[in-house]
Amino acid sequence: MTPMSRRAFVTTLLAAGVGATFPARGTAPPLRFGITPVMLDDRIGFLNAWAAWLSAQLGRPVRFVQRARYREILDLLLRDQLDLAWICGYPYVQHQDRLTLIAVPTFQGQPLYRAYVIAGADTGIETLESLQDRLFAWSDPDSNSGYLYPRFYLSGAGRDPDRFFRRTFFTWGHPRSVMAVAEGLADGAAVDGYVWETLARRDPAMTDKTRVILRSPLFGFPPLVAAPNLPDAERVRLRAVLVGQTRDPVGRALLAELNLDGFSVAEPALFDDIAAMARQLNPRDHS
Amino acid sequence: MNLAWSSYRVRLPLSLSVSAITTALCLALAIGLQTLANLREDQGRNALSLGHAMAAVQVQALRNEDVWLAYSLLRGPEGGAGDAVWILVDAAGRLFASNRPREYRLDQPLSEALPWLPEPGAIGPEETPGRIVPVDQASVRRVLRLPLDSDGTQVGELIALLSDAPYLPRFEEIVVGGILVTAGVLTIWLPLGWLWGRRMVAPLVQLTGCMSRIGKEEARQLHCTVPGGDSEIGQLGRQFSAMLAALAEQEALERQMIQAERLAAVGRVAAGVAHEVNNPLGGMRMAIDTYRLAQPLDARTARLLDLLDRALQQIQGAVSALLVEARADTRTLTHQDLEDVRTLAQPRLARSSVPLTWHNVFDAPTSLPAAPVRQLLLNLLLNAIQAACEGGAVAVTCATEENVLRIQIENSGQPIPPEQLAHLFEPYPASRPHAQGLGLWVCYQIASQLGGAIGVETEEGITRFQVTLPLAGGGAR
Repeated sequence: MTPMSRRAFVTTLLAAGVGATFPARGTAPPLRFGITPVMLDDRIGFLNAWAAWLSAQLGRPVRFVQRARYREILDLLLRDQLDLAWICGYPYVQHQDRLTLIAVPTFQGQPLYRAYVIAGADTGIETLESLQDRLFAWSDPDSNSGYLYPRFYLSGAGRDPDRFFRRTFFTWGHPRSVMAVAEGLADGAAVDGYVWETLARRDPAMTDKTRVILRSPLFGFPPLVAAPNLPDAERVRLRAVLVGQTRDPVGRALLAELNLDGFSVAEPALFDDIAAMARQLNPRDHS
Repeated sequence: MNLAWSSYRVRLPLSLSVSAITTALCLALAIGLQTLANLREDQGRNALSLGHAMAAVQVQALRNEDVWLAYSLLRGPEGGAGDAVWILVDAAGRLFASNRPREYRLDQPLSEALPWLPEPGAIGPEETPGRIVPVDQASVRRVLRLPLDSDGTQVGELIALLSDAPYLPRFEEIVVGGILVTAGVLTIWLPLGWLWGRRMVAPLVQLTGCMSRIGKEEARQLHCTVPGGDSEIGQLGRQFSAMLAALAEQEALERQMIQAERLAAVGRVAAGVAHEVNNPLGGMRMAIDTYRLAQPLDARTARLLDLLDRALQQIQGAVSALLVEARADTRTLTHQDLEDVRTLAQPRLARSSVPLTWHNVFDAPTSLPAAPVRQLLLNLLLNAIQAACEGGAVAVTCATEENVLRIQIENSGQPIPPEQLAHLFEPYPASRPHAQGLGLWVCYQIASQLGGAIGVETEEGITRFQVTLPLAGGGAR
């Protein structure tokens, strides 16, 4: 089946009233879709709706797999215990040889995003320099925006990222980092700019208690990648469904929930900047 | 104002209201304090069980240095807005997490963050770890200290600062609720209590009013309505009525005695004067007779002597009229004697066309003399016919009653004014200068001399003379 005819088939199903809640039946094993605690993991209702939509499109069940850490998702993916995962650009560049890009979300018109460093709005801190000897929250050690980029920035400024702050801790999720700063647990945090902007729309009361003190250059948006042994046909099919999501009203509604424009096909070179930063900070990993 | 406050009309409803308010307030306060105590106890228990529940995960968070895990546990679903302040302290005595992250910072020494914190004290081997200690801080009333142990080694401590703040609004609610309910009940009860108080006090006020009239008015004429019922006030009312009646009786008795004494004195004077006058009068008339018989008289002398004799006779007649000799007659009274009086009065009755109701059932042997009783009855009957005037009526009853002849003469017509009543039986009363004036005096004399009594009462157009004469008559003075 060509992508076009498949899409036509699904569209027909949707038009026939089966819609997004079409339960995928049959003996086909479910597609295991791993997601990281970016900002979705507390939105089970949304995930179920997206899973139902994807099931209808793919003609097989879709199951979202959540784990507390990026690392766990990555491990499952590398061991082929997941078929697909939405991971950060940083782990992708670390395992680029084994993982295949399926699609990259487009945010504000391009498949790019920024890393933000935020501080409490009432702390008076306006630069990363002022965060010296303060409490700082990382999102996840495998996050580009929540770990790699601020460390790269500090290194570039001649600071030791392990000693610059008085104390650091991991929140294991970008929304939690925003919350930690908003509630005063940390003086500053490194977060995904997309997550912060989306929270600013969804929960402005929380983001209003934080202030963005540093915006990174644009990086490749955290991509959706396939497991090493996922068959090519599946990859093509997945890519087609995701990229075509904007053409479906339900799909568009789901994308709006995600605050995304859609999914696009991208080349690995999109993540070269991240790879360069990773190489510079951890030369041994990429030797 | 003082008088008003001291009045039971004010004090009774006021004390009812005050006791209602006091009761309600005490009740509200007691319930409020009890609730507060219960809530505090619950708070302590809840904090302890919550601490035990998260102890294992907090140990893990401490060992893994997972600040976020510790914080998210302490933070809870309310986002740190809970009642208690929770603080997790690591083995080195430094703050690791708190649900008030702005106040209690990571790595802050506990001794610096909470310098007033009391020492946890040793815990016995059998004792469940975790202890709530009361403290005296502005916002903290109790402290829970729960040591976190792993394999027999303390790896940290969980501290909860408990305050009354979440319960004070509830306590206030209860007290304010109590006050509002009291106010609501009072808006109903105050007017009712007021009315009730007035009703309870009203008989007392009535009695007070009556009593204040004693001494100013005659007891006989005090027409007071006194409270009834079985209550103490009712009894008081009855006692008061009895006292009033006794007082009226005594007053009447006194009046009668004064009247009797006065009439007796008048009688003695009259009798004395009559005797003193009669003796020389008798002598003078005898002298005139002797003079007439002794020699022939010329016409002029004879005429003069006649004039003298007539004048002396007039004096004798006038004096005799004052002297009533009730027991001069020896014939005893019969039923027919009384009937005769009716016959004798017929001409007057016919002239004045006053109807007479005659009821004579007297028929008993008696030693009462006939003539004075006849005269007594006739006098009274003629008086009654005269007083009845046009359109009036007269009723006479004669009956025997326990060795007593009772005669009652009633006539309708103008009542006798009180000032006349007091001097009615006196001779030549000043109030009736034109009457002949001796009729009732004679009646009184007769009744007294026969050992009986005569009385008069006048009310609502009826004047009633009552005469009682003992059948064994003659026991008088």
